[in-house]
Amino acid sequence: MAIMMPASDQAVLARRAEIVAALRAIVPGEGVIDSAAEMRAYESDGLTAYRQPPMVVVLPDTTEQVSLVLKYCAGQGIKVVPRGSGTSLSGGALPLEDGVLLGLGKFKRIREIDFDNRAVVTEPGVTNLAISQAVAHAGFYYAPDPSSQIACSIGGNVAENSGGVHCLKYGMTTNNVLGCEIVLMSGEILRIGGKSAENSGYDLMGVITGSEGLLGVITEITVRILQKPETARALMVGFAQVEAAGECVARIIGAGIIPGGMEMMDKPAIHAAEAFVHAGYPLDVEALLIIELDGPKIEVDELITRVETIANACGSTTCQISTSEAERNLFWAGRKAAFPAVGRISPDYLCMDGTIPRGALPKALARIRELSEKYQLGCANVFHAGDGNLHPLILYDANKPGEIERAEAFGADILRACVEFGGVLTGEHGVGIEKRDLMPEMFSEIDLNQQQRLKCAFDAQGLLNPGKVFPTLHRCAELGRMHVHAGKLAFPDIPRF
Amino acid sequence: MDTLKVRDAKDVEEVVRAAIANEQPLEIIGHGSKRGIGHAMATNAVLDVSALNAITAYEPNELIVTLQAGAPLADVLSLIDAKNQQFAFEPMNTAPLLGTPVSGTIGGMIAAGLAGPRRIKAGGARDHLLGAHAVSGFGDSFKTGGKVVKNVTGYDLCKLLAGSWGTLSVMTEVTLKVMPKPEAERTLLLRGLDDAAANKAMTAALGSPFDVSGAAHLPTSAFRTRIEGLGDIAGQGEALTVLRLEGITASAAHRAGSLRELLAPFGTATLVEDVASAALWATIRDVLPFAADGALGAWPVWRIVCPPASGAALGTVLARETGGDVIYDWGGGLIWAALPPKPDAHGPAVRERTNAAGGHAMLIRAAEDIRRTIDVFHPQAPGLAALSERVRASFDPKTILNRGRLTRGAAA
Ligand SMILES: Cc1cc2nc3c(=O)[nH]c(=O)nc-3n(C[C@H](O)[C@H](O)[C@H](O)COP(=O)(O)OP(=O)(O)OC[C@H]3O[C@@H](n4cnc5c(N)ncnc54)[C@H](O)[C@@H]3O)c2cc1C
Ligand SMILES: Cc1cc2nc3c(=O)[nH]c(=O)nc-3n(C[C@H](O)[C@H](O)[C@H](O)COP(=O)(O)OP(=O)(O)OC[C@H]3O[C@@H](n4cnc5c(N)ncnc54)[C@H](O)[C@@H]3O)c2cc1C
Repeated sequence: MAIMMPASDQAVLARRAEIVAALRAIVPGEGVIDSAAEMRAYESDGLTAYRQPPMVVVLPDTTEQVSLVLKYCAGQGIKVVPRGSGTSLSGGALPLEDGVLLGLGKFKRIREIDFDNRAVVTEPGVTNLAISQAVAHAGFYYAPDPSSQIACSIGGNVAENSGGVHCLKYGMTTNNVLGCEIVLMSGEILRIGGKSAENSGYDLMGVITGSEGLLGVITEITVRILQKPETARALMVGFAQVEAAGECVARIIGAGIIPGGMEMMDKPAIHAAEAFVHAGYPLDVEALLIIELDGPKIEVDELITRVETIANACGSTTCQISTSEAERNLFWAGRKAAFPAVGRISPDYLCMDGTIPRGALPKALARIRELSEKYQLGCANVFHAGDGNLHPLILYDANKPGEIERAEAFGADILRACVEFGGVLTGEHGVGIEKRDLMPEMFSEIDLNQQQRLKCAFDAQGLLNPGKVFPTLHRCAELGRMHVHAGKLAFPDIPRF
Repeated sequence: MDTLKVRDAKDVEEVVRAAIANEQPLEIIGHGSKRGIGHAMATNAVLDVSALNAITAYEPNELIVTLQAGAPLADVLSLIDAKNQQFAFEPMNTAPLLGTPVSGTIGGMIAAGLAGPRRIKAGGARDHLLGAHAVSGFGDSFKTGGKVVKNVTGYDLCKLLAGSWGTLSVMTEVTLKVMPKPEAERTLLLRGLDDAAANKAMTAALGSPFDVSGAAHLPTSAFRTRIEGLGDIAGQGEALTVLRLEGITASAAHRAGSLRELLAPFGTATLVEDVASAALWATIRDVLPFAADGALGAWPVWRIVCPPASGAALGTVLARETGGDVIYDWGGGLIWAALPPKPDAHGPAVRERTNAAGGHAMLIRAAEDIRRTIDVFHPQAPGLAALSERVRASFDPKTILNRGRLTRGAAA
C-alpha cells in the first residue's frame, strides 16, 4: 500500500476475543461477524486497489445498539469505521486492522413519507434510488442522483455529500437534506434539524454532510423531495475541438440557462461507450456534450432551440435532439455506462474526481494529454461540464509491475493541476485515503488544523474513522493550544475612530 | 470604545491576537446595520471590516463572485445585476424592519444568513457560500471551501460561518455562487382565505410540478399598515395568498395558468407580473407590514421557522393567544409574528408553541431590556447545545469574537 494507515494498536488486537464477546452482548446473533471468510466482503469499498480485513464487523439494527457499540469502543479506545454500501471511490470505508467495521446495512426502513412537508424520514442504509421509488407514485423524487444510486446508501451519500448529473440545477446532497439523528463516538445520540427549511444555531447538518464518517454515525436522515419535472429532453452535440465544446458550455451558462444536466465526454470515452452500448455516438468528434433540459414542455422546447443556436454558433459538427423518452435515454446510456465501458477496454482503471473552473477545461484536458504521454498510460475523460467536475479514468493493468504506481502518480498530477487551475481535489467522491496525502496541495497547515479542531469537538479521542481525510493526525490537546503572541499587548497601529 | 478599522487580513490577525493577549473581546461589524439583533455583548473594542471592501473577482460565466467581506452589498448587487445575475437566496434587507439606515456588507449578510422567499427553491446563504478566508479566534487566517460550485474537499466550514453571527471567525474574503436572474415572474393572488386554507393552498402549490419560487400568506391584519408600492395589490385589505413562478416568459406564464387551475378549489386567482410582482415579494421579504416606522413599529417581532404544513396552526394560535399579527412565507415554514408589547415579548408562549410544532423561534426585533430577559436565539436541547459550544470553542476558545451575542448572560 502506498498510503500509510495509523499504526495498529497491538494491545487492542491482543484482546480481540474479549472485544468480539462484548460486541455480541450488544448486538446479538448474526450482527457480529468475526470469521475471516465472512469478513472478506467488507475488506474494501469502491477503491478496490486497497484491501484490509477489519478486526471485526458489527451490523447493528437499532440506534441504541449503535450508541452502545460506540460507547463501548470509546471506553476501550477501539477505532471504528462506519460503512454504508461500500461504494466509496476514495477509500472512505476502508477497514482498519485494529478497528471495528460498523455497517449500517440493516438500517433499511423508510420511516416516514410526508408529502405535505415534502420530506422523507429514512434510515441510513436505504439506497438512494429506493427513496425516489418510494415517492414516485405521487410524482416526487429525491434529486441527487449519483451513478451508483441503485447501490449506494443515503447515509453514505450524506457522509460523502454525493452529487450526480443533475446537481448543477438541483444541488448536491447538502442542498437536499434537512436533518438527521447522529450518534457521537461517545455514544451520545443527537437530533439535528427536522422538517423545517433551516435549523437553529450553527449549521451542524451542513458540516456533518461531507464529513466522511469522521464526525459521527448517522442513524436517520430527513431529506427534501421534489416534484418530478413535467418533461425532459436532451441534445447530443459533437465538436471537432474540445475548446469549442468548452466555449459552448460557457455560453449556455452565460445566456442564463441552467440545464438539468450538462455532460461532456472526450474521444476515448466516446469510443469506449459507443462500443459498449451502441448509443449512436459520433465517432469522428473530439468532444461530445449531452445537454438535458427539464421542466414544462413549453420551456424545454424553447430552451432546446436556444441551446441548439448556441451550439451551432460554437461550431458544433453534429447536433441531435431527442424526440422521445427512448431516444433521450439512449443519449444517456453511453454516458451512464462510461465507467463499465472503460472497464471493458482496460483491465483496470482509476476514477479521478477533480473540479476546475469551467473556463479552464481546454487547459486541463491538454495537461491530461501531456501527462498521459509522460506516464505512458491511456486516459478517458468524462466530465460534469456544467459544474467543472472532471472524471478522468486512468487505464492501467494491475498485473503489470509498476503500473498501479504510475497510474496513481498520474492521478495525483491531475489533481495537482486542478488546484493549479483554481479548482479543488474532489468534487463529489471525497478525500478518503485516496486524496488524503494531497490535502496540503490545497490547504495550509493552519487550514487543516482548523478542520481537525472541529473533529475534536465531535470526537476528542480521534477514534472514528482515523487515517482518512487528514494527512497528519494531531492530538486534540495540541490543536487547542493557544499561542499568545507576546509583546503585542496593545492594539497595533490600525486606524481608529 | 475603540473602533479598529482593519485594512487587510493581516490587520485582522493582529487585532485578534492583541485581543487574545489582552483578554479583550471584540465586537465584529460590517456596517453595523444589525447591531440591534442578538444579546448585549461584553466587548470593549470594535473590529470594523468595512474597509475590506474590494470586489476581488467577478466571473459571470463561472457563476461566482469573490469579494472582501466588507464590500457594500448595494455595490455588489448592482455589479451582478448588470450581468443579469443575482444571489438566488434572495437575502432580506433588514433595514425597514429594524429601523436602521439602509446599508450593509457582504460579510454581515452571510453572518446573519437571513434568506428571503426563494429559500424554498434555491436554499439559503449557506447554500451559496462556496469558500471563505477568515481569521479564527486563534488569530490565524485560514481558508475553507474553494472557488468552484462543486467541491467536497475537507469539512465544509462555510456552512458553519453562514449564520454564525460573527461568533466563529472574522470573514475577510468570500466566494459566493451567483445565478441568472429569471427572465420573467408571475404571481398568482388568491384573496380572502383564512390561514388554514391558505396553508393548504400553498402546500398544494409547492407539491405541484410547477416549480413555485415563492409561497406566502398575508392575513387581513397585515394590511393595517399602508404599504408603499403595493398599489392595487393591497385591494380592500382582504387576506392575500401569493404564489410566484419565475423563468423564461413562456414558461412562467404557462405554469401560472396550470397552477391557477390546480388552485381553483381555493378561489379564482388573479395575476400580477414582473415589476408589480417584484414589489410584492420585496414587501414580504423585508416584512414591511411590521416595519419599524409603521403601525406595529413598537411591537417585538419573532422570526419562527417550522415544518411548512404546520405553519397556519402555529401562527393562528400565537396570534389568538397574544393578540398579535402574523405573516407566513416559505409555504408556511416561516412565520413573522409581531406581538403586542410585553416585558417578556410573549417569549415563554412563543417558545412552548414553537417547540410543540417542531420549529424554532428567534426574537429578531425587541428593545434591549427585553433581550436581557429573553433568549433571542432558540434554546437548543442540552446535548446539541453542548456540541454547538464545543464547535464554537474549536474556532474561538477564549470567546474573543462577539462574546455574548448568541447566548444570554454569557457576556457577564
Ligand atoms: C460505479 C460508481 C459510480 C459512482 N458514481 C458517483 C456519482 O455519480 N456521484 C457521486 O457523488 N459518487 C459516486 N460514486 C461514489 C459513491 O457511490 C458515493 O460516495 C456514495 O455516497 C457512497 O455511499 P455508500 O453507502 O456506498 O458509502 P460507503 O462507501 O460505505 O462509505 C462512504 C463513506 O461514508 C461513511 N459512511 C457511510 N455510511 C455512514 C453513516 N451512516 N454514518 C456515518 N458515516 C457513514 C463511511 O465511513 C465512508 O467514509 C460512485 C461509485 C461507484 C462505484
Ligand atoms: C440597496 C440595498 C439593498 C439591500 N438588500 C439587502 C439584501 O438583499 N440582503 C441583505 O442581507 N441585506 C440587504 N441590505 C442590507 C442589510 O440590511 C444588512 O445591513 C446587511 O446585510 C448586513 O450587513 P452589516 O454589515 O450591516 O451587518 P452588521 O450588523 O455589521 O453585522 C451582522 C452580523 O454579522 C457579523 N459580521 C459582520 N461582518 C462580518 C465578517 N466579516 N465576518 C464575520 N462576521 C461578520 C456581525 O458581527 C454581526 O453579528 C441591503 C442594503 C442596501 C443598501
